[in-house]
Amino acid sequence: MNSALIFGGLLALMLTGMPISIALGLTVLTFLFVMTTVPIEAVALKLFTGIESFEIMAIPFFILAGNFLTHGGVARRMIRFATTLVGHWYGGLGLAAVMACALFAAISGSSPATVVAIGSILLPAMVQAGYPKRFGAGVIATSGALGILIPPSIVMVLYAVATGGSVALDPTGHRVGSASVAQLFMAGVIPGLILAFLLGMTTFYRAWKGNYPRMAMATWLESLVAFRDSIWGLLLIVLVLGGIYTGLFTPTEAAAVSAVYAFVVAVFVYGDLKLADIPRVLLSSANMSAMILYIITNAVLFSFLMTSEQIPQSITAWATSSGIGQVEFLLFVNVLLLVAGNVMEPSSIVLITAPILFPVAVGLGVHPVHLGILMTVNMEVGLCHPPVGLNLYVASGIARMGITELTVAVWPWLLTMLGFLFVVTYVPELSLWLPRTLGMLY
Amino acid sequence: MSLSCSAILVGIPFLYPFFYQFNLTWAQELCIYMFVWMAKFGAAYGVRTGIHVGVDVIVNMLQPKIQKKVILFGLFCGAFFTFIVGTMGAKFIIGLYPTDQVSPDLELPRWIIFLCVPLGSYLMCFRFLQVAWNYIRTGELPHHDPGHVEGVVESTAAAKDLAAEELADNGGAR
Repeated sequence: MNSALIFGGLLALMLTGMPISIALGLTVLTFLFVMTTVPIEAVALKLFTGIESFEIMAIPFFILAGNFLTHGGVARRMIRFATTLVGHWYGGLGLAAVMACALFAAISGSSPATVVAIGSILLPAMVQAGYPKRFGAGVIATSGALGILIPPSIVMVLYAVATGGSVALDPTGHRVGSASVAQLFMAGVIPGLILAFLLGMTTFYRAWKGNYPRMAMATWLESLVAFRDSIWGLLLIVLVLGGIYTGLFTPTEAAAVSAVYAFVVAVFVYGDLKLADIPRVLLSSANMSAMILYIITNAVLFSFLMTSEQIPQSITAWATSSGIGQVEFLLFVNVLLLVAGNVMEPSSIVLITAPILFPVAVGLGVHPVHLGILMTVNMEVGLCHPPVGLNLYVASGIARMGITELTVAVWPWLLTMLGFLFVVTYVPELSLWLPRTLGMLY
Repeated sequence: MSLSCSAILVGIPFLYPFFYQFNLTWAQELCIYMFVWMAKFGAAYGVRTGIHVGVDVIVNMLQPKIQKKVILFGLFCGAFFTFIVGTMGAKFIIGLYPTDQVSPDLELPRWIIFLCVPLGSYLMCFRFLQVAWNYIRTGELPHHDPGHVEGVVESTAAAKDLAAEELADNGGAR
C-alpha cells in the first residue's frame, strides 16, 4: 500500500515535467510528513551527508575530463584515424563512423555530444560519397550511445554509488557487497568491444548488400600519422583502465588525473582550446556535475525512504514466494529500464532504480557486477530507442530527418543492440570473465 | 558566483594528486567541502541554465493553456521544495552554531561548512521563482542543449553541404 503511494506520487510528480530531482525530494518529504513518524531531522542530516563521499567525486572529474576533449578537433582526429583503418572495406565510412563514435564517446562521456560531433562531420561526407542519408543517420545515432559502456563511464560510477550503501543477501543468506567502480569498468570492456564489433558487422552487411562505395586503401604511413595524431586522446582510456588495474590509483584519483591529462592534451598538445576558453569549459562542467550531484542528493533521500519502508525486502520476499526466478526478473528489469529509458536520461534512471533493483537481484542470485553492466547496456539501448530516445532527437537535428524516418533508419542497428542486450542479460560470463581473469572479482 | 564555481573546480584536479601523494588529509577534506559547496551553488546556477531536466513527454502533448499551468506548477513545486530544504538547513545551522563543533582536520567550525545548504537552497528557490516570473512574462524557459560541441561547424565540407541543402529546401518550397 505504502509502496504504491510512493511510486504513484513520484510518477505523478514526474509526469508534470518538473526536474526529476525535485520530484524525488518532494515525494519523500510529503510521504514522511503525512504517513510516518520518522523525524524530519533524520532527513535533514541525509541532505548534508548525501554527497560527502569520496567515490562521488569521480563524477565531476570525469565530466571535466570529457568536456576538455569534447571538441570538433578531437572528433576529426578520431574520424581520420578510423577512416585510414577501416575505410577500404564495404561501407568504409560507415564502419569508420562506428569506430570513431566508440572512441570519441568513450573519451567525451556524452552520447548526444558524440552524435553531434561525429555526425556533423561524417554525415555530410557520407552523403557526398554516395551513401543514403538514412544509412549514415542510423549508424551515427546508434553508435553514439557506445560511450556509456566503454570506460570511463559515469553511469557505472553512479551505479556503484547508488548501490554502495545497501545491504543485500544472496539466496543462501550471505551478505553481498556492491560492485566497485573498478570492477564495473573492467567488466564493461568486453561487452563494449563486442557491441562495437556487432554494430560494425551490421554496417558492413548493409553496405555489402547495398554495394555502397568503398574508399581507397590508406597507406601505412597515413595510418601511422593519423594514429599518432589521435593517440593522445585515446591514451585517456588507457590511463584510466591501466591506472585502476595496476592499483596505481583509485577510480576517483584516476578521474582527477584524467581531468589534468585532458586539460594538458586539449590546451598544449592539440591546441583545440585556448586558455581563455577554460572558464567556459569549467563552468559548463560545474553546471553538469551540480545537476547530477543534486539528483544524487535527492536519490539518497529516496533510497533512505525505500530502506525505512523495507520495500526492496518485501519485493524480494514476494518474488521468492511466488516462484519468480532470475530469468523472469531480468526480463522484467529489461522492460522496465527500456520504458524508463524513453522518458528519462540515464543518470536519473540508474540513481532511482538501482537501489531498489539491487537487493532484489542479489536475492535472486544475480551478480552485482552483472546487474550493473546489464543496466548500463539498457541505458545505451534506451538512448536510441524510438519513440523518444535522446540520441534520435539529436541525430534528427543533424540529419534533418523526422523522428519517424529516423526510426526506420536506425532499425537494423537497434535490432542488433536488442539482440546483444538479450545475450548480456542471460550470459553473465560476458561481463564477469575479464574482471575475474584479472583477479579483481571472485 | 559563476566565477567562484570555476575557481573552485579548477583548483581541485590540479592539486588533488599532490595532496594525495603527501597524505595531506586536511587538503582532502578541503576538496570534499569545496565540492559540496560547488554542488549546492551549481544546482542553483543549473536552474537558471535549465539543465535540471524532467520528463516532458506528456507536458509537450498538452494544449498550450494547460501546458502553461502544468509547467508553472512544476516551477512552484521546485521553489517550494528548495524553500523547505533551505529552512531545514537553516534550523540545523542554528542548532549547530552554539556547539563549537569543528571539522576533524581543518578545524573549521562545522556550521560554516554546512552553511552551503541553506544558502544554496534559498538561492535555488529564488532562481525557480525568477524562472517562473520570466515564464509568465515572456513564455520562455531556459533551455540546455545536451548536444552542444565546440569547434564542429568550422568543418568547411559540412558547412557547404548544409548551405547547399538549405538552398535546395528553400528552392523546393518555392
